[in-house]
Amino acid sequence: MIEDFLDPEFFSSIARLTTPILLAALGGLICHRAGVFNIALEGFILLGAFMAVLGSYIGDSAFWGALSAILGGIFLALVFSEFHLRRRGDPIVVSIAINLLGLGLSTYLLRSIFDVSGVFSHPNIHKLPTINWPFLDSLWLLDLIFNDQSILFYLAILSVIAFHYFLKYHKIGLWIRVAGENQEALRSSGSNPVQVKFLALLICGIFCGLAGAQLSISNVGLFVENMSAGRGWIAVVVVLLCAGRPIPLFFLIILFGVVDSLSLRIQGLGLPQQITEMMPYIVSILVLVFASFRRFRFSSKTHL
Amino acid sequence: MHVSLRGITVDFGNLRAVDKVSLEANAGEIHAVVGENGAGKSTIMSVLYGSNTDFSGDILCNGKRVSWSSPRDAIKAGIGMVHQHFMLVGNLTVLENITLGNELINQFGFIKFNTIRANILNIISRYKIHIDLDELVDNLSVAQRQIVEIIKLLYRESMVLILDEPTAVLTPNEREIFFHSLRNFKAENKTIILITHKIDEVMDIADHVTVLRNGKLISSSHLNTTNKEKISQEIVGREIPRLNIKRGAYENKKILDVKDVIIKTNFNAKQAINFCIKKGEIIGIAGVSGNGQTELIETLIGIRRASDGEINLLDRNIINENTQTRRMMGISFVPQDRQRDGLALGASVWENACITKVNNKKFSWGSFLRKENMKAFSRSLIREFNIKVNGPDALVRTMSGGNMQKLVVARELSSQCPLIIIENPTWGIDIGSIAFIHQKIMDIKSAGVAILLVSNELDEITSLSDSAFVMYEGTLSKRISKGENFRELIGQHMLSGFNTYYSPTGISPDE
Repeated sequence: MIEDFLDPEFFSSIARLTTPILLAALGGLICHRAGVFNIALEGFILLGAFMAVLGSYIGDSAFWGALSAILGGIFLALVFSEFHLRRRGDPIVVSIAINLLGLGLSTYLLRSIFDVSGVFSHPNIHKLPTINWPFLDSLWLLDLIFNDQSILFYLAILSVIAFHYFLKYHKIGLWIRVAGENQEALRSSGSNPVQVKFLALLICGIFCGLAGAQLSISNVGLFVENMSAGRGWIAVVVVLLCAGRPIPLFFLIILFGVVDSLSLRIQGLGLPQQITEMMPYIVSILVLVFASFRRFRFSSKTHL
Repeated sequence: MHVSLRGITVDFGNLRAVDKVSLEANAGEIHAVVGENGAGKSTIMSVLYGSNTDFSGDILCNGKRVSWSSPRDAIKAGIGMVHQHFMLVGNLTVLENITLGNELINQFGFIKFNTIRANILNIISRYKIHIDLDELVDNLSVAQRQIVEIIKLLYRESMVLILDEPTAVLTPNEREIFFHSLRNFKAENKTIILITHKIDEVMDIADHVTVLRNGKLISSSHLNTTNKEKISQEIVGREIPRLNIKRGAYENKKILDVKDVIIKTNFNAKQAINFCIKKGEIIGIAGVSGNGQTELIETLIGIRRASDGEINLLDRNIINENTQTRRMMGISFVPQDRQRDGLALGASVWENACITKVNNKKFSWGSFLRKENMKAFSRSLIREFNIKVNGPDALVRTMSGGNMQKLVVARELSSQCPLIIIENPTWGIDIGSIAFIHQKIMDIKSAGVAILLVSNELDEITSLSDSAFVMYEGTLSKRISKGENFRELIGQHMLSGFNTYYSPTGISPDE
């Protein structure tokens, strides 16, 4: 029975399931630390996914797909900045608008450019390259998890480490943290919090765009209406759960990936789909409960 | 560095905040800038510091005309400022906070924390400062935070130090230490600009004093050519009424009797709180803010549950009653934070004035409000307390801080409760309003109201209260009666707790 669960596909699917969420969550993390309440990741990803397919189809290469996805993310980041940073709109309202815009715009463009509805797939859509590390071939488990994944998977893992050091030791990273904690202090030290937040939004747009590209042109090479399917929201929750720290974020997302992958297996055992699809969310509630319990204990300790 | 501001004018919309003010500060001099709230002190300093670039007039450093586009330019030119509300980030370490704004970086933009740490340690040992660079600012006391702000300026090698109300948060002893370092900086030929509203401090330490009122320059003189009375008159623009105190009037009837109450604070104190207030008596609770005063008040008014003991109001134990019941039974309360706890800013003056009185038959008929009566009542409060506002329909948001506070005090004092709890009633308001509110407190004392006055201002405690307690790390000191060493005893307790031995004079055991 264990073998039914832990077949090779179980392990190799973890990276596939988690990479888009990880990329989007990294973008959300930078916004969170900079004090921009961005819950529009879902919209960012969706437009990114569509733009990836569009770019890959027109430009005839995966590179143009990824670039076009980044541009899609940046476009929405600019919309967010215009309405939130310049016109001082409420970030929740702006986020909701962008989530709706991402859905509407991708569906509209799909129908008007490709003249299809629902799903668009075409042999001209080039997929992102995968990387094979020969030295991993002989290491059974590591080979399954880490080898032959999309190039963005490796980028995402590198980014986790890079973000950790960037936030801790880089000048801009320090500014981003201060912008989120006390923007008056940043202003008084001579930097412009709005510029720092703008930069954070751009980074977020880039990473969410890539998350979209990973979704549409990495394994499947097609676009489905609303294909982000809540991954942006999971990313938002994970960012809040780990309080914007990259390393815990990484492990949390892996946990989600494992549970998600597990839930696909359990379906095979005959459990109702509705139950198994709940699993990632049940885990997120459990993590929340655990985290708040620990925080409570921790905070009461520090006051002693 | 010699700094001069020439003919500075700043407009906020239609309001002229600073009107053609000039100011000269010399190196090796402590230059005090005094004035009431809204006199334009902080505004003119924000011009010098580059955080306000929308002004007319000239800034000169060592005789050369300069212009800043942001504080970064001013910082580079050697000007540093400690704001009244510290510009520190609680979640960052001391080291990171000091680094901010003067980041020493390598070619990739990464901060060279090791070099910076060495530089700061150098400064720390030079001035004999004790601070842990890896501690989070959140875990520091207010005085330590101020030290961090000062190290920040020293690390940036600022030659001009602008200090906005630096002593507001310090205990008397901490203030002495702080003044000592100011004199050191002065000896190193730094220019110190000290914004304050405490005239005693000006007399203590300043060399030169500039008085501002309503955005205009009133006087600028060497300290030895002026005196305390003259300066205070220039600040207010008229004579300050002297406090009219009638003492010894209290009767031997306990209004509030707190017995063995254990309050939950951030400190691990399990010591029971005991004290009582008699009719017509003012009991002061002194202490550096954050030592449990807020928790004590919340326990008394019923926002926080006490874990044990009795709170007797007029011989009835109210420990299990909620806030509304307690208010109806006769406690009124003036909170420190008028904007957060005292008033609904978006509501009108009359709504705020009557919010605690809606159950009064005069103001309601069943569940309907009797608006006209409420407005008439508000008008009488506005008149009696001399509140500057456009009538009872004006929104509270449009009032100044001093007038907001007057409104809260007016509402609570007019409730005719036997007990009133007052928390920092003069926090952040101008001298004129302070004198007025102090007088009102003395008036209701004469009328027989028992008053619990919780304040961080030592002067307020010593001039108003009949006896005082000091709160330190969640515990209450013994009762300190008004007497010879009143002020000194309170000051010592505020700083170091109660473990040191003091001469028995001045301390009498709690009845």
